[in-house]
Amino acid sequence: MNGIKAALVLFVAALFQLSVLTEYRQFRTASIVLVALLSIALLRGSIFGAIAGFGTGLLLDTATLGTLGITSLLLTVFGFWIGRYGETTARDRFHAPFLSVATVTGLYAFGLVGLQFVLGQPAPAGLVARGLPLALLLNLVLTLPVYALIRRLFPPLELGDRVREVRLLG
Amino acid sequence: MGLLVLLSLVLITVSFRSSALDGVQGTAAGILKPFEVAADRVARPFRDAVSWGRGLVDAKSENKRLKSQIQTLRQQLTLDEGAVQQNVQLKAALNYHGLPTIVDFRQVHASVSVNPQNAIDQSVGITVGTNNGVRAGDVVIDPVSKGLVGTVDRAFPSVASVTLLTDTQSAVTSVDLTSPTAVGIIQPGGGGSDALVLDLVSKTKVVREGDTIITAGSLGRSALPSIFPRGIPVGTVTSQSSNDVNPFKNVQVKPLVDFSSLQSVIVLVPKGR
Repeated sequence: MNGIKAALVLFVAALFQLSVLTEYRQFRTASIVLVALLSIALLRGSIFGAIAGFGTGLLLDTATLGTLGITSLLLTVFGFWIGRYGETTARDRFHAPFLSVATVTGLYAFGLVGLQFVLGQPAPAGLVARGLPLALLLNLVLTLPVYALIRRLFPPLELGDRVREVRLLG
Repeated sequence: MGLLVLLSLVLITVSFRSSALDGVQGTAAGILKPFEVAADRVARPFRDAVSWGRGLVDAKSENKRLKSQIQTLRQQLTLDEGAVQQNVQLKAALNYHGLPTIVDFRQVHASVSVNPQNAIDQSVGITVGTNNGVRAGDVVIDPVSKGLVGTVDRAFPSVASVTLLTDTQSAVTSVDLTSPTAVGIIQPGGGGSDALVLDLVSKTKVVREGDTIITAGSLGRSALPSIFPRGIPVGTVTSQSSNDVNPFKNVQVKPLVDFSSLQSVIVLVPKGR
């Protein structure tokens, strides 16, 4: 059930990003898909985040007719990483979604540049660096409503459901 | 996690080095197209409302400016129509066959379904593909300004990807309309803006601010003819300068097309196809 809900949320977020958000140049640096994915990963853990990231990346690469796998690779890694953060130190921390989104926004942008560079494609790091402050700001603004919505759809797991986690004693 | 990363790397390798996944990607993109169109239609009223509100702010000054522009253009049109008539008569009299122009192509209209996704991305997705006769390399123009937009990069049965003129890998042989010997290469100006640069123009050539730059088409007897028909407007010269270090002029060009708000495009498909 969680999988279907996550797929639907990320599909709608991807459609919104592809057809609406990128329509305006000033909002093109924002990524509602990234914010939604990180929120889901925080609430549902590393494996869920990695699978959701892979699927979302594949969807974006397919829809934009880009090289398949580039976005999948990045979103899989970040979905897993933030999921792991959610399973451990980020639990019940108010700043966790904001910190995750801010960190991953920067790493995602430069990760994309790095992959483009490795593939011999244009990789204007300066251009990405100049757009980064606006991307950070927009993504952080999006985080509050998106995380709140996703938290309602995916309520935090009970302690008993967190079977893969390390329990801190004492 | 490891398996998904490995799968991503395999996908990148296969997708980048071969066209083995093109069929699958094309079919999947075709399936997604109706959803993208539906999302666009849902968002359109809101977008129109924003544009309407923005238009109200400067409607009065724009109206005044456009009225004076219409007067100037009317006079120009009269002169141009006379020149066109004379050109047709002279061509017929001389039995002259020039370079292919826009009239030698079938025009396939398409909507823009996917906008550029980030600062690096300089491509858009369009709603026509090989089923409509579109192939990679076909030239794309703007339906309103008729200015050059870019070229088709990849074509699938019902969708295609268009690389914009602002992409760092774009380069188009172009010429100054009022100074036809000033030939150069139009390239993106860099810095993330839409400004273009007409590079490799000799210092001896005359280029003035306000001149119109058009595609040059094939020049001379090249073994590889240009894919761009002659005469597609690219933009207007905003500044030009030269210095002792650079052997060529530095010509800045403002594109005719507003790349930030492309709604639809025209793909030029050769009539014989």
